[in-house]
Amino acid sequence: MKKLNIEGSRALLRSWMGLCMMAQAVAATVTGAVLLSAEPAAAAAPAACAGLQTKYPALKGKTLVNAINPHTPGYEALDPKDPSKYIGFDIDLGEAIGDCLGFKLTYKSVTFAALLTTLQAGQADIVISDIYATKDRAKAADFITYLKVFDGVLVAKGNPKKITGIDTSLCGAVAAENTGYVEVPLIQALEAECKAAGKPAPEIQLYDNNANCIQAILSGRADTYINDVNTVDGAVKAYPDKLAKATAVMLPYSVGIAVPRGKVEFRDAVMAALTEIQKSGLQGELMKKWNLPDNQIEAPSLVLAD
Amino acid sequence: MDLFLQYLSQPYLVTGIVYTLLITVLGLGGGLVMGVVLAGMQLSRFGALALLSRTYAIIFRGTPLILQMIFCYNALPLIGIKLSAIEAASLALALNEAPFIAEIIRANVIGVDRGQVSAAQALGMTPNVIMGRVVAPQAIRSMVPALGNEAVSALKNSSLASVVSVQELTLRSTQLASATFDFFSIFFASGLMYLLLTGVVALIQIVVEMLLDLDRPKPAEQIARFFCALSPFRTRSVAALAAPTPTPDDQATAQDPLPPASPKVTMAAAGVDRAARASRLSGNTDAVEVRGLHKAYGPNVVLNGIDLTIKAGEVVVLLGPSGSGKSTLLRCINRLEGWEEGSIRVGGRSLGVNEEGKPLSPRAIAQMRASVGVGMVFQQFNLFGHLTARENVADPLRWVQGLSRFDADRRADALLERVGLAHRANALPRHLSGGQQQRVAIARAVAQNPSVLLLDEPTSALDPELVNEVLEVIRRLAVEDGLAMIISTHQLRFAADVADRIIFLSGGSIVEEGPADEILNRPRHPLTARFLSKMEGE
Repeated sequence: MKKLNIEGSRALLRSWMGLCMMAQAVAATVTGAVLLSAEPAAAAAPAACAGLQTKYPALKGKTLVNAINPHTPGYEALDPKDPSKYIGFDIDLGEAIGDCLGFKLTYKSVTFAALLTTLQAGQADIVISDIYATKDRAKAADFITYLKVFDGVLVAKGNPKKITGIDTSLCGAVAAENTGYVEVPLIQALEAECKAAGKPAPEIQLYDNNANCIQAILSGRADTYINDVNTVDGAVKAYPDKLAKATAVMLPYSVGIAVPRGKVEFRDAVMAALTEIQKSGLQGELMKKWNLPDNQIEAPSLVLAD
Repeated sequence: MDLFLQYLSQPYLVTGIVYTLLITVLGLGGGLVMGVVLAGMQLSRFGALALLSRTYAIIFRGTPLILQMIFCYNALPLIGIKLSAIEAASLALALNEAPFIAEIIRANVIGVDRGQVSAAQALGMTPNVIMGRVVAPQAIRSMVPALGNEAVSALKNSSLASVVSVQELTLRSTQLASATFDFFSIFFASGLMYLLLTGVVALIQIVVEMLLDLDRPKPAEQIARFFCALSPFRTRSVAALAAPTPTPDDQATAQDPLPPASPKVTMAAAGVDRAARASRLSGNTDAVEVRGLHKAYGPNVVLNGIDLTIKAGEVVVLLGPSGSGKSTLLRCINRLEGWEEGSIRVGGRSLGVNEEGKPLSPRAIAQMRASVGVGMVFQQFNLFGHLTARENVADPLRWVQGLSRFDADRRADALLERVGLAHRANALPRHLSGGQQQRVAIARAVAQNPSVLLLDEPTSALDPELVNEVLEVIRRLAVEDGLAMIISTHQLRFAADVADRIIFLSGGSIVEEGPADEILNRPRHPLTARFLSKMEGE
């Protein structure tokens, strides 16, 4: 009975959806490409992938949706030369996993805070978007790790506030961060330490994407932006006269691929593919291509909710 | 600057506009459809529907659009409705626009003069016809600016679809800015694109307003003229098209005399044998029969037991101080008002209840009004503001009696000729003087061939110098058409001239009634005497 109801409501929606599809088709012809495609992975899939495709036949020939927050040049961002494409290490890694298991990827651009909710709502199948696998986030999705986390401390050139990391040097400073970033609670936790030292607590400004955080420092609204070291390096490269990296810190997290909770077979397949990609040296090649230091690589492991 | 120009013409950003427009159009279209439904629910006679519509408005007007977008995108899948990003964003925008558009529609529908609605009811139009022909055309004209505003706001609000991953202009701009670090060039470029889009909306609004402007030619003709102006054969075509509206406007000061009086009228002016006429009338059938009529507004008793019979062809004048219940009595006779006790029969049929005494629907009352034939002329004229004098007379004939356009126009022209306004047939009410408007209103009421004509202080809203032209029209109607009339007025000389009988009302009761000459010259009741001496003193 319940199923019938859902079928009924779907039928009701059909006319509306038909209209939308027609309209989308019009838009697509103008755009020239229906969905943003990504460049194929640099190297061919490892040999062991054939075995995985026989083991997980359900994925073969599918097109899955990868939700990303494409504001992180180096990991995921538009290709400035051809904005109809996304490029970056995460994009290449995702394509490599897809090639290995026989599925294709399309991309859905959302805010950082919406990455996991989009996955939970079933609007995406996988999230490969430089997201740190924490226990808290594991309540929303299962994670398979692939990189260690090094954070860079982005400051204005000359580091006028003499910031030295996530420590008491941040007391009284203004940090720009994105909603949902793991750095936010780490900086907030400094409050007690600052108070004990008789200093004001750090202030946090929340934004939606990297570009806004970088702009906050450029416009003098914030003193620092602490995020993935490669992102910080990219920003310094773009504004060498105005920005600098004060220091790099290691965080006790790993970067992970998020998949829906409970879809164990899919999770196992992705993890197996990732393992093969690391073993074959493909991940190392991709990291070199995108200027990520080799020591950042991490063997796949699961981060699940307790 | 180079970068700015480069981004301004970049296909990636420009195609983002397509998605922006798509969401805006779908959102506005959906919002318009839902807005019409919601406004209809709020204006309906049924309280439950109004409450439902109100509740919807409170929820969707009271929550941010960005939450609604996220809800449609991320929460609906949990109950099995998985919409694509564009569908979810369009749905959210439509849900959000609907209550705003509903309020615009409701405000403009209410804003249409209530008097015109009364006039339409009195002409026997059903609620649907009134809404479609009288209220909607005027409401739509006045809601264009507000809807233009709403379109601009929807266009800008579509940028919030970026939170649910729709590849529209804002999302594309921010992504591109992140990838290239060219923050300002990109946002200036997309800002300019938004400005161009809203500029186009403003332009459309101006054109629509021009097309709907009543003081200009009809839209079809305006468009024809526009294209003729573009065509190479323009000299001939423009001249041909410019001709058809000879506007004898701005002759408001000029005289528009009535046609010469018929022999009947001239004879009547010489003096009628009142007694003979009275005995002839007494043999006629009853046109209106009022029995024990009681009406109160709350504790305020307006009509307190009225008994009254009017014969076919009889002219009755109601006199009485303000608040004596004259207007209410007239409005009860054609069922514009209900009452508590008593009965009214017109032409032997009771308006408003069926044979078993059950109340009828507004639609059935309207049809009954049209078939029984009770015309009404109002103090404030109540002409339909969007129609010309001819259309005011002819169009109700088409909508209610089902006459062809040709027949209706012919009848309208004949009647306008009779009230001396043939030369003003194409003028809008707002370009007519009060006296001219009232003459058109009389022509409109008479056009329906009523058996009874009710005139509610037909000259009270007129400047003194315009009173006589209207009274003369009524006088001729009384003599020429042999129509039963009930006239409430303060014009004693006119009453003496035209009335077969005068009824003096005070405090909702009939104080005194009798032949005009008797009441005016030898009133028996002190209230009548006092009223008459006061009126003559003025």
